[in-house]
Amino acid sequence: MPGSSTVIGAPIPRLEGADKVSGRALYTADVSPPGTLAAKILRSPYAHARIVSIDASAAWQVPGVKAVLTGKDIVGHRWGRFLRDMPVLCWDVVRFVGDRVAAVAAETADAAEQALQLIEVEYEELPAVFDPLEAMQPDAPLLHPDFSEYQDISPEVLIPDTRNGLSRLTWQKGDVDAGFAEADLVLEHTFYIPSRHQGYLEPHAGIVAIDEAGRIQVWTASKSPFGSRNQLAKSLGIQPEQILVHPIYVGGDFGGKGDALDLPIAYFLAKQAGRPVRIIMSYLEELLASNPSHESIITIRTGIKRDGRMVARYLRAIHNTGAYGCMKPLPNVAIGGAVHAGGPYRIDNTFFEAIQVYTNTVPAGFFRAPGGPQVNFAAESHTDLIAQALGMDVAEFRLRNLVEEGDENAVGEKLNGVHARETLEAALQAAHWRDPKPGVNYGRGIAMYERHVGAGPSSAELTVEDDGSVTIISPTIDQGGGIHTVLQQIVSEEMQIPLDQVRVVVGDTDSMPPDQGVGGMRITNANGHAALQAIEELQGKLRERAGEILGAEPEQLSYDEGVFYRSNDGGRTDDGNRALSLAELAAQTADAELRTGRAKVEMPMQRDIACFAAQIAEVEVDPETGHIRVHRFVSAHDVSTVINPIAHQGQIDGGVIQGLGMALTEDLAVEEGRVTSLHLGDYKLPSAADIPELETVLVHSEGGPGPYEAKAIAEMTNCAPPAAVANAIADAVGVRLMELPMTAERVYRALQDK
Amino acid sequence: MSEITLRINGKQHREDVASNRMLVDFLRYDLGLTGTKESCSVGVCGACTVLVDGRMVSSCLTLAISLDGAEVTTVEGLASETGLSKVQESFVKYGGYQCGICTPGQVVSAYALLQENPHPSEDEVKDWMMGNLCRCTGYYKIIESVMKAGGAE
Repeated sequence: MPGSSTVIGAPIPRLEGADKVSGRALYTADVSPPGTLAAKILRSPYAHARIVSIDASAAWQVPGVKAVLTGKDIVGHRWGRFLRDMPVLCWDVVRFVGDRVAAVAAETADAAEQALQLIEVEYEELPAVFDPLEAMQPDAPLLHPDFSEYQDISPEVLIPDTRNGLSRLTWQKGDVDAGFAEADLVLEHTFYIPSRHQGYLEPHAGIVAIDEAGRIQVWTASKSPFGSRNQLAKSLGIQPEQILVHPIYVGGDFGGKGDALDLPIAYFLAKQAGRPVRIIMSYLEELLASNPSHESIITIRTGIKRDGRMVARYLRAIHNTGAYGCMKPLPNVAIGGAVHAGGPYRIDNTFFEAIQVYTNTVPAGFFRAPGGPQVNFAAESHTDLIAQALGMDVAEFRLRNLVEEGDENAVGEKLNGVHARETLEAALQAAHWRDPKPGVNYGRGIAMYERHVGAGPSSAELTVEDDGSVTIISPTIDQGGGIHTVLQQIVSEEMQIPLDQVRVVVGDTDSMPPDQGVGGMRITNANGHAALQAIEELQGKLRERAGEILGAEPEQLSYDEGVFYRSNDGGRTDDGNRALSLAELAAQTADAELRTGRAKVEMPMQRDIACFAAQIAEVEVDPETGHIRVHRFVSAHDVSTVINPIAHQGQIDGGVIQGLGMALTEDLAVEEGRVTSLHLGDYKLPSAADIPELETVLVHSEGGPGPYEAKAIAEMTNCAPPAAVANAIADAVGVRLMELPMTAERVYRALQDK
Repeated sequence: MSEITLRINGKQHREDVASNRMLVDFLRYDLGLTGTKESCSVGVCGACTVLVDGRMVSSCLTLAISLDGAEVTTVEGLASETGLSKVQESFVKYGGYQCGICTPGQVVSAYALLQENPHPSEDEVKDWMMGNLCRCTGYYKIIESVMKAGGAE
């Protein structure tokens, strides 16, 4: 634990700051290998149709066109982050408005666009289904009749006897039927959450260049270069080692950019043209045909005893996976957010299920705690409704039911190091919960969230350079979270050298063991421990070498601030051979192996450790217009060591505002299967004018699984704001909204209906 | 094609541009000034913000040919040989960025604000900067960076 540390916990500015503020930092669209062509994609205007014929010959008439591709040219090639169910280019059926049908690479983007206009496609429309509940009906159009022919389907993917059912996850504890039988009161509610776009400001972009040796060079806006590489390889039917993905800055991810998406198309065009090809999605295409969050219909039912105990809970989440399951990276081809259906509460008997259903809409993907925001909106709104039905104060009801040390959570995991109560109490205090409201039509609302710290594989390599500085190679792209600065701090701390003597480099897919990338609140834990273990190996090697140079046993050496010292060997002789700095050691060690440490880790998921968040919104509602203004927002978190407070606070700031966007304005509107909010004027992201006063409360905790017992923060911050706001609106003006976003129109209508 | 003469970051340019060439593409692809980014392409997000004769414009909606005789400042023009501008240093110090894709637009807008109003209030900063969207930071540290660059405590 860092008692006297100088850099762990210090507000160290991020090391890439100068590059980012000066415009020097390069993102995929900024890179241009010589001869790069621009590519554009022709997309289906129909939600479900058979391709009767496609004639792309006229595309060649446009000057500058160098490659033209249709699905007929690449029949059988499908792509997916895990399940490959999406054709690289459709050859027989299109399944959503925006599905990829043809592509052109040309000298200019304008020429490519013009060429697309000349491609003639004849479609025969098929019946389509857009609502997941309708898609589950026995007579609904079937989107994937040939599902069993798709390759590498994990046995975990059940194709339930549910029409258009892609996958189903369940969790349970105890006997939920018995629980409901003993309940004094049973309450059930259904909530609706629309699809939302991750809103990263850098659209998907990818460059594929096939070099003279036939090696496939890739630059891509992906936080998972290994994921993108492997996905591209599988879609092409080649070995991943034939592909080299170069590291590059990524302009935001939030779960939506760990994919190969249009890289296979770029590859085939590049192969045809004999030149590099770059595909950049316009923001319209991002909103139309990328991988937004899952539209969800969530039913939650809880059995309660009169004394306020919850004895049973059932939750069913129907998640609209859209036309393909390709955007989900896990073998279960699902989103796991329904595991949080019990929240931070003690519930003896539970059954939760999440069903992913195909519909003819845009394929859905991951968005920061996938499924978590949707389930939390339902569960924490439901919590307030239960409290109200019992005539109990909403804060008291929560305090009464929170898990305590050693309790099991709602899915049967025993928890240690529980600070749920302290976190809620800290939030209540900071929000002045019991104080009179500032005015009429003000309300306050609480919502809580809990989650485990992510884990998994990572690696690191450190080398002492000639000048005594240390380079750490990480396989992890820093997509904005700040992991590289965290690594710099860890190396500086453990090697006891100044920060500016530590350089962080991202390895490409040739030079480092695989890393799946940032996600699931895993990276400080995984990459941080990889760094610590690599440092340990390095220090062992350095000590050996220092011993050789200084003529002492390695164990006899001491090390302080970058220098090895020969310990007292019976009166120090001033023979100039007592101390050896890292620079001096490196100068006398030509073999870099002797001054390099490596580690490859597979961090285990520690299911007995949970992070807790308690958030409280204070809102004012204008009853004449329904307009909601969030004045104050409190975000309380139980945290252990915070390695970089600037980056840590950044995750809270950003997550809260994403949560408020979900609560109030974000709606990827779909009509007849067609996305209609097609630019950022319609899909409204929060701006600087929309933010409330934010108060952060960090509650002391210990024993996290990460370096220096750190816990995690990234996905703790964005899930609970919608329920907090919904509960605050109910407190303010007595209306309960069951669907998102909570717009002025909806509040107004609800007030009228009252 | 038409010929335009303009100053970009203090340097004189005489270039031929097609009549439909957008300023953002002209800067990024014709001149290699990739610091300015394109995101929404409809003038809403501010990522493509540059200064034309000192005023903020969305370069994704500006035709290059309209800039004959203009003075253009991009993010590359804010720093000098001696280092980053005061507002850029403030963004670095206070963490007014995460992924960085909106950051060039943010610092250009902030630079323009501080030229006009060297000591803005928090409300003035929010009002000025609301045309620069950010998805990572929630804006708090952006506002702090600008306030501190304006001399706030």
